[in-house]
Amino acid sequence: MIKHLGVVGAGTMGTGIAEAAVLSRIDVALYDVNGTVLRQALERIKADFKSRVVRGELKQEETSEAFTRIHPRTHLSDLSHCEIVAEAVLEDLRVKKDLFKHLEADTKPSTILASTTSSLSITAIASATRSPERVIGMHFLNPALGTELVEIVQGQQTSETAVRVARELVGQLGKKLIVVKDSPGFVVQRVSQALYGEALRLLGENVAAAEEIDRIVKVQGGFGTGPFERMDAVGLDVLLATAQSLYDEYGNEARFRPHAIHKKMVQSGMLGKRTGQGFYRYNQGK
Amino acid sequence: MAKVKRLEPQAGTRRRTDSSGRASIYIVGESPMVEEFAELCAGHGYQVHFSWNETPESIPPLTSKKITRGRIIPSGTSLALELTTIDLDRKRENLQRLDKALPPTAAIVSTSVTVTATEQSTWVLNRNRLVGMGALPTLIDKPIVEIAPTVFSPKETVEVVQRFFRSLGKEMMLVQDRVGLVFPRILCHVINEASFALQEQVATPQDLDMAMKLGAGFPLGPIEWADRIGLKHVHAVLSALQNDLQEERYRISPLLRQLAQGGVWWKHGSGETQERSER
Repeated sequence: MIKHLGVVGAGTMGTGIAEAAVLSRIDVALYDVNGTVLRQALERIKADFKSRVVRGELKQEETSEAFTRIHPRTHLSDLSHCEIVAEAVLEDLRVKKDLFKHLEADTKPSTILASTTSSLSITAIASATRSPERVIGMHFLNPALGTELVEIVQGQQTSETAVRVARELVGQLGKKLIVVKDSPGFVVQRVSQALYGEALRLLGENVAAAEEIDRIVKVQGGFGTGPFERMDAVGLDVLLATAQSLYDEYGNEARFRPHAIHKKMVQSGMLGKRTGQGFYRYNQGK
Repeated sequence: MAKVKRLEPQAGTRRRTDSSGRASIYIVGESPMVEEFAELCAGHGYQVHFSWNETPESIPPLTSKKITRGRIIPSGTSLALELTTIDLDRKRENLQRLDKALPPTAAIVSTSVTVTATEQSTWVLNRNRLVGMGALPTLIDKPIVEIAPTVFSPKETVEVVQRFFRSLGKEMMLVQDRVGLVFPRILCHVINEASFALQEQVATPQDLDMAMKLGAGFPLGPIEWADRIGLKHVHAVLSALQNDLQEERYRISPLLRQLAQGGVWWKHGSGETQERSER
């Protein structure tokens, strides 16, 4: 049973994990270097709790009790007592390596150190520590609070204990999990990339238009959304970065080569829903 | 060349119909798609005569009285479906037989997931009567159908085919005549990637399927989907893509290639193979 979770980085992902944890009666030490970011995160959680009470999803008492479980922290050493610390800082290997070096020193030896990275190698992050067996990946599919699935990523030297603790945490959060071997894209992004990539190829070869491909995939395949709708929703820049990183990590494997159409869209600033224009046009402010 | 004639399931004075007054369809190809289409057409009022390339080991029950089986193509046939994906020599034979036996006005709808419809048209004399279709086992039960006209298909043929599918409750979506069309190509490519991941033991087949359903909104996991369609069919589509496009991108996962010979998915870590069964 996990009683104390440390969360490093009070961005969207970190805040989402903290919120899910306190609602599952886990005490959270939420750390960020930036006090303002931390204050804003607490405000966001408070506002989200309030709207969920209004919507009738949660009771007032539940949310106020949960809120008392969040402890904002600005020193990493304040996370030393946690059974597990999950980091959700910038997706940058150097930044993460540096953080894990500090986390290793600032927490007790039994603390499991988890990274929520969606694209970096857990093994590479762990290499910055002297106890790589403590390091594990926990990839929360977006959004952290609403998603049903966590990919638990086993690095080269990750211990069984780390896997057990991570499993326990995911179980307490009421989510499902799969255990994957540390490999680029893990499972979900890697296989999704095949869907997006082939849809782009079909578009590029002019086999059908984007709307037609979406319609066929939805009606014929039974998908809730078509590949181009999804790409627009996730953000074409985010997906191009994923595609590029898979391509690099798999040693320029042809299956992962980013498509020229995708690159051109990103270059022209058509990034999808967020910018109002992607494969589809969206009404501004929607 | 003769123009392809219209047809409707209902009787019409100028239409070619059988004695019961319904238009008659001839279906030939591989199990299980032949049965699936026979049931579908019979369910919508057509008289169906069909023939398998190879008789399946266990003959599926075909309930409708409108369905009869036999190699002879009835003289009243007004439209034919050729549903061979794997054995292309056989497909060519079937098409040539259909082309000879059918009246010049009858259209042929032929699956074109492993060879383009245009190439198939060059195998027959009456080239303007053939259009391609995207179909794989278990995928035909949906309200749209991908149709690929060839460079030879006149508007009339496409209209007849459109009317035929409309009578089956399906909307026709026209796509370019390429191997795999749209959905079979996307799905088989996804299955190939999933198979590469399994081969590398990134996750178990069960976990991989669950992850794609929960994490990416797939209606079915890629592995269970592959099992449903049949690995031989998936492999045939991927091989055709590889031959047609000649790109490294379409390299087939060795695991998938081996399993298409009739194997089962490898169970991660346990060192045993495991039969996958429906839960």
